[in-house]
Amino acid sequence: MANPIASASSAALTFDLIARCSTTRARASVLTLPHGPVELPIFMPVATQASLKGLTPEQLEETGCRLCLNNTYHLGLKPGQTVLAAIGGAHKLQGWDHNLLTDSGGFQMVSLLKLANITEEGVKFLSPHDGTPMLLTPEHSIALQNTIGSDIMMQLDDVLVTTSPDAARMREAMERSVRWLDRCIAAHQNPRTQNLFCIIQGGLDADMRRACCAAMVARDTPGIAIGGLSGGEAKADFCRVVVTCTALLPELKPRYVMGIGYPEDLVVSVALGADMFDCVWPTRTARFGNAVTRRGVLNIRNARYANDFGPLEDGCGCVCCRGAGEDGKGGIGVGVTRAFVHHNTAKETVAAHLLSIHNVWYQLNLMRKVRAAIIADEYPAFLRRFFADLYDDKADYPEWAVDALRGVGVDLRVDDT
Amino acid sequence: MQKGDGDRRVVFEVLRSITNDGAGIRVGRLALPKRPPMDTPNFIGLTSRGAVPHMTPDNLVKHTELGGTYIALEDFLETSRKRAFPAIYNMESEDIETLHAYTATPSYMATVLAARRHPAVTTPMGNGSNDISIYTSTGFQKLSNENYRHAINKLKPDIAIPLADLTFNRSKTPNSFKRQLRMVERTEDWLAGFFRLAGSDGGIQSAVFAPLLPIPYPTQWEYIDRLEQEHAGQLSGLAVYDADILPDLSNPGPLSPLPRLSLDFIASPHDILRQVQLGIDIFMLPFLNSTSDAGIALEFAFPPLADSTQSIRPLGVDMWSQDHKVSLMPLVEGCKCYTCTKHHRAYLHHLLNAKEMLGWTLLQIHNHQVVNDFFAGIRASISTEPAAFEKNCDLFSRIYDSELPKGTGLRPRARGYHFKSQGGDEKINPPAFQKFDEDGSEDLALAAEVAGLVVTGVAAEGNETPLVPEIDAKELDKPGFADVTN
Repeated sequence: MANPIASASSAALTFDLIARCSTTRARASVLTLPHGPVELPIFMPVATQASLKGLTPEQLEETGCRLCLNNTYHLGLKPGQTVLAAIGGAHKLQGWDHNLLTDSGGFQMVSLLKLANITEEGVKFLSPHDGTPMLLTPEHSIALQNTIGSDIMMQLDDVLVTTSPDAARMREAMERSVRWLDRCIAAHQNPRTQNLFCIIQGGLDADMRRACCAAMVARDTPGIAIGGLSGGEAKADFCRVVVTCTALLPELKPRYVMGIGYPEDLVVSVALGADMFDCVWPTRTARFGNAVTRRGVLNIRNARYANDFGPLEDGCGCVCCRGAGEDGKGGIGVGVTRAFVHHNTAKETVAAHLLSIHNVWYQLNLMRKVRAAIIADEYPAFLRRFFADLYDDKADYPEWAVDALRGVGVDLRVDDT
Repeated sequence: MQKGDGDRRVVFEVLRSITNDGAGIRVGRLALPKRPPMDTPNFIGLTSRGAVPHMTPDNLVKHTELGGTYIALEDFLETSRKRAFPAIYNMESEDIETLHAYTATPSYMATVLAARRHPAVTTPMGNGSNDISIYTSTGFQKLSNENYRHAINKLKPDIAIPLADLTFNRSKTPNSFKRQLRMVERTEDWLAGFFRLAGSDGGIQSAVFAPLLPIPYPTQWEYIDRLEQEHAGQLSGLAVYDADILPDLSNPGPLSPLPRLSLDFIASPHDILRQVQLGIDIFMLPFLNSTSDAGIALEFAFPPLADSTQSIRPLGVDMWSQDHKVSLMPLVEGCKCYTCTKHHRAYLHHLLNAKEMLGWTLLQIHNHQVVNDFFAGIRASISTEPAAFEKNCDLFSRIYDSELPKGTGLRPRARGYHFKSQGGDEKINPPAFQKFDEDGSEDLALAAEVAGLVVTGVAAEGNETPLVPEIDAKELDKPGFADVTN
């Protein structure tokens, strides 16, 4: 491991800053959590119900993943807090010796239960299981996450879609999120073995975000998340929020942008100073028959792939694309072709599993390459190459990405000098 | 038994046999060119569209000891207006056999190619005089002897089973005698044609396992006689659709040293033991995939350990059972599979309950291991104390339940054409939706709840978003979040 430039520790976490990009705000670091170190920037796949859609924990480990998500809301319903307590937490439940991050359960209230009602006490909703009324308070959320035993827990926040026009409600949600953080911190039983991250709210309003940053940072949580995004806002607005927040956040704490997963979003967000990301997209899109590649997303169900006998992506190192023994370490490679995946998409679960393995590997490998580029201080060149691979013509580059990166000193439309 | 075919020799050695003629209960070793030898009796994996259900090839390599798979050509012959020619025929691969390359079958595994899936869907139009009726994802088709022959040449399976005129009759009434005679005639003609075609296109690279038909021996003796007299030298094995005719073969005879692959119906380990006693060497087990889908972890061993408890032992454990909710035990104590060494019953129960696909993968890994160990036990028993083998079979049938447990939970939703039902069959998938109050026996509580959600309280006046509980938060706080009490 490279020598850190600077380090900071809290009870259950150490953050070692390894490198800073000399142009953008990108940084490379090592985050040491109770279940081992993880290298940042990182993409975290989402194993919603303690299983990453058909992959064994061993297969997930082989993609290089050392930190994945579980959803508190789902685990609270199945297998439930009593069972989790009896088993000894989610690591034990799923046979995962590496790190876990859990959300607060609040986001699912908004995304799955459009009709939940939020009051100062918590989120009132009807159980989708049997329709009985339920209440999720910050205390409940933390108690459940304590039982789950995740290495990183998220505070319960008052999530509002960022596109909401109601500024007063937005401010109320932001301020309530700060108050709920205090309740979460007070309820947290295991601060020595589990980290509680705060979540910056405030919609798309820069002033509100700044106020929230100040209030949250003052509470000194071991890590900080930027929340409420990826809810349908314009990409330019999204970038503005991230760049506003990262400017105000302490350098020696991990910064987590929640719910982000498209490759373009990841590389741009890293340039804007974010370190951690999660999204269900790579595994969900796999089940729809899509393969993520550096040239874009390929829909393998398309008839043109029936006679395409190449790997999902040329040169990819995932276990599906690699031929037997091709990694030079005697590792297993199965040499799956696009034709075979096409043959089985929507017909055998194996096709979805193969695409999930490939897509998760792609996302994690993208972040490994991002990290290497930052350490070599070549991140601007990496960004240019990334967009050049994705688009044939510079004119096709998305405006939001070009503008956002221009803001941190990289002009994608100008060749490297 | 050796087949002279250049350097592509298939060798089947009978290592140990209980009867003197080497034809009945026996332990052997099948060596196919290019693949490591396989000890028999043994089983091979059953694929659907080239994949063992729920198992990616890397899991097959790491977590099973399968030495081969059975692949049905009909799984690959879909054509459409856009695609006149099945894609698999377009694949060119240099070092690897096309069938291996297309299906990403690990190189150490042998492939067995047959025209139809096992078990096969009955086709409505029946077979023709020079073709059989097959079922692809794009509908029913005809497959001629000649086209099948070309497919074998192109795909290069390790073992090929020539066409047989089979009806896959699932009804109680057997095929008429007339139909049986036609089955014999056609199969005999097709096999002769199969080898004749071989002469014209440079020989068959695959080992040929000739079909034995699921009809009484006296009806097909002429066909079998012809196999012995004319084709014995061209055959590397037999594909047996009814194991009960094996004792009728002349022993020792030209066919008795050939390895025998069972395509007979096998519903439980009892059927395996019975067919081992009849002289079957290689098995395919449709019950494996269906047991895993049903959420059952197999639990049986051979030779069985007799214990003092006289109760009948079940052949598997239902992982849907609430008993496993917090159980940290392996599925089966002492099992060395990945699932049992790395996971526990509580996880399996949770995965099934949460409808996570991983549950079925982990069960497939475990169930394949149990059957693998079962066959290893059979081989060891025959080799070391042949006299005790039949006694052990008797003991097994006495102490184990006669049928596999059915499972109490939901199976993965059956998707795809090959789950075709016939008239009168029950629906494979329960309907996802049905008309509310269709037969007047609706759940009153549910009805009230649905009605309540839509119309009660302020929601009725359209003042507020519905679905908001009207109980005070203090009341809600008591039970805790998402503690489902049932």
